[in-house]
Amino acid sequence: MIKETAQPQAASEEPRIGVYICRCGGNISDVVDVEAVATAMQGVAGVVAAKVNTFMCSDPGQALIAEDIRNERLNRVVVASCSPFLHELTFRTAVNRGGLNPYLYEHVNIREQGSWAHHSDPAGATSKALRMISAAVGKLRHAEPLDRIRLSNNRQALVLGGGIAGLKAAAELAGKGIPVILVESSSSLGGRVASLNEVYPTETDASDLVKKLAAQVMNHPLVRVYSQARLAALSGFLGNFDITIAVEPKAEAGPAPGVPLPKPAKAEEVRAAVGAVIIATGFDPYAPRDGEFGHGGPQVTTLPEFIRELRGRRNGELQWNGRPVRSVGFLHCVGSRQIEGVHAPQADGKVNDYCSRTCCTAILQQALDVKRRFPQVNVYDFHQDIRTYGRGHEDYYRNASTAGVVFLRYHGDEPPAVGPGTNGASLTVRVKDWLTFGEEVDVPLDLLVLGVGMMPRNIRDLIELMKLPVGADRFLQEVHPKLRPVEVSVNGVLLAGTAQGPMNIEETLAAASAAASKASILLGRESVELDPFVAEVDADQCIGCERCFPECAYTGALVAEAATVNGQAVKKARVNPGLCVGCGACVAVCPTRAIDLKGWTLSQFDAMVDGLVAGVPGVELKGREHARQTH
Amino acid sequence: MASSFEPKILVLATVACAYPGADAVGKAHLEYPANISVFRVPSPVLFPEDFYLRSYARGVDGIIIAACGSDCPYHNAYPKLAARIDALVKKMKTGGLEIERMRITAICTVCIKAFLKEVNEMDQRLRKIGPVNRDTAAKLWEDSRRGMCAGLNLPAIRRPEPVPVFA
Ligand SMILES: Cc1cc2nc3c(=O)[nH]c(=O)nc-3n(C[C@H](O)[C@H](O)[C@H](O)COP(=O)(O)OP(=O)(O)OC[C@H]3O[C@@H](n4cnc5c(N)ncnc54)[C@H](O)[C@@H]3O)c2cc1C
Ligand code: SF4
Ligand code: SF4
Repeated sequence: MIKETAQPQAASEEPRIGVYICRCGGNISDVVDVEAVATAMQGVAGVVAAKVNTFMCSDPGQALIAEDIRNERLNRVVVASCSPFLHELTFRTAVNRGGLNPYLYEHVNIREQGSWAHHSDPAGATSKALRMISAAVGKLRHAEPLDRIRLSNNRQALVLGGGIAGLKAAAELAGKGIPVILVESSSSLGGRVASLNEVYPTETDASDLVKKLAAQVMNHPLVRVYSQARLAALSGFLGNFDITIAVEPKAEAGPAPGVPLPKPAKAEEVRAAVGAVIIATGFDPYAPRDGEFGHGGPQVTTLPEFIRELRGRRNGELQWNGRPVRSVGFLHCVGSRQIEGVHAPQADGKVNDYCSRTCCTAILQQALDVKRRFPQVNVYDFHQDIRTYGRGHEDYYRNASTAGVVFLRYHGDEPPAVGPGTNGASLTVRVKDWLTFGEEVDVPLDLLVLGVGMMPRNIRDLIELMKLPVGADRFLQEVHPKLRPVEVSVNGVLLAGTAQGPMNIEETLAAASAAASKASILLGRESVELDPFVAEVDADQCIGCERCFPECAYTGALVAEAATVNGQAVKKARVNPGLCVGCGACVAVCPTRAIDLKGWTLSQFDAMVDGLVAGVPGVELKGREHARQTH
Repeated sequence: MASSFEPKILVLATVACAYPGADAVGKAHLEYPANISVFRVPSPVLFPEDFYLRSYARGVDGIIIAACGSDCPYHNAYPKLAARIDALVKKMKTGGLEIERMRITAICTVCIKAFLKEVNEMDQRLRKIGPVNRDTAAKLWEDSRRGMCAGLNLPAIRRPEPVPVFA
């Protein structure tokens, strides 16, 4: 259900524009001649006030805007200051406090993209500031008051994946009183961590960790867990997702690691409504191809297999496939940090050029462990770099060196070669070792452990179903790595853990907590409010040509409505603002410009171009001479 | 071309990637010419080709579309954008507008070097080839608007207005 929130309005009357130029305490005014800009703007049609202030974002600066809205009856406001990422919201709010619709505001960046980027050209920076402000004034002439989108809210969350990320997110949400549906594709909880032994950097028992998290979830009355289940259908939008869960019990070969879940009694489809979705589907360990670094041979294994095999083996002799192991090697970066032309590409034609982040410390932990449990075994470590970046990780490196692990360093474009063994050894690793300045070394081994990295889990069905954005590394992609790190461009969908990219347990749990908090904020309200920047159709202008429909990649965002144009039955377009993501793909094809993005209309962009090329006609600006000297 | 010519260059930068990328250049106090201006856009896929042609007709000498590339947060928007720009460039070529005036590229939030390279290269190219022929652009713009409305056979279609001469 869509309701529009009531915002203070301003009719589309003659524009009375206020322009505020910030000195930023000299950050701007040392380069841009702000007084000259203000004077020039005062002469522009529609501009009622043009003022300079030392800190526009300060309380007095913001109060100045509100005062002028009242006293000068301003109905549009421009602030030229720092990047919109810092203070656009600040000034929208200030404008709203003054009694004006917050979307009758334009932000101009004259610091990051002005004074700081052109500090040796004050005249140029000043003229650019003027052009950019007149572009904003042009845009505002076409601005309409906008209402935030308000959606009713199903205050329940769906968590996909019952690894540590999903468990943590579910536990935190339930702890805040929010009901959770947890869908796990396997028959147990805990994900990949369930197959580990002691985990770095705390050396906590992995199964204890998993059991604790699973208990919090399974014993909570607000959590419903579906095992051997998948998300079969999803439609709707933030606050209003309709979901179908398919429960598909299948026979499993032996007990799965982790906390077992009750086997579902029968295959069934469960329908539910949720307000937010957290994706915690995790990763797959990189699966080496046959022959890749000897993979497939009896004395070559992968790190996860090695860890599993060593579980519970305390002392005595280290054996592999019944053969005593006198020398073991660990190879870093298998399936990570690949180089085009050196490594064979993956199925999609791309190499994995990213670092899997968790393998370096995981390898050193195992290398050290072998040295401690089986002191007579020679341990070799083949690496490009050692990336023990986290708190406590470096200790593993230091201790491994002290314990006698032998380090050999290869270059990424000359990876080690694995060949047959001699003198009773199972295999030989030939490496050009850069710790000895490029010497070729043959290392005889009885066992080689491939430090495989992380690959995104194959969740193509979810990506299609939910229109999830995928990064160049094929992991799910957040809106912004720093500003919106657990959100995706689909409103109400959040990321937790390694579905987003390689993370260790600490990082996974932190991301899961962040996603849970974000979800609980979204679900904590009666209704959800969104920025109004979605598409809108002017029904009078729409001729029902249907060109826009195939452009939209979001099912349900564009709705066809029966109408008559010139006596002919046609389908006109209407936008469902809850489903439209505001990409604008539809806007470009409309012959009548009937469809536009609110707040970013084509006539606004046209007006901005006009403002930019024209600047302020008749005004010639010169940079201040002293500004030049201060640099 | 006289070296005094200052090309007007417009960068259309995505909110999610290229705009913060351009901010990063300023934050590092690295410089580029002040005749380069950046507009923030949700995704440049929203622009019809007549927007670009109208901009040239208005006197914009060069446009850089600084998109997110494969990191685009919108489903399928980047390939669609690339195809649209491809079609536009073909029209520019046959219509006599130098295709060097249009450049599409991907700039990430920390791609400082890539941003500087793109804007400086565009600036240098345009200083060589000179100002845009606004009449040629205006004609292409009209053709494009007509093409878009062709075959619709509906009186509701407005004829394109002529591009007024501006400052
Ligand atoms: C060899 C190795 C050793 C490691 N050692 C350490 C260590 O010592 N310390 C440390 O901090 N980190 C370590 N890590 C990293 C750690 O394994 C990860 O941080 C952790 O597993 C991430 O948890 P997750 O929940 O994101 O993903 P996962 O553990 O992969 O869990 C994902 C869950 O989602 C389920 N799922 C998948 N797809 C779907 C779907 N479509 N629908 C429903 N459910 C689905 C899966 O069945 C699984 O239960 C190690 C990693 C490796 C590879
Ligand atoms: S803006 Fe994008 S999501 Fe919205 S209707 Fe248009 S194409 Fe669909
Ligand atoms: S493209 Fe424009 S005119 Fe055609 S159906 Fe869509 S909104 Fe209506």
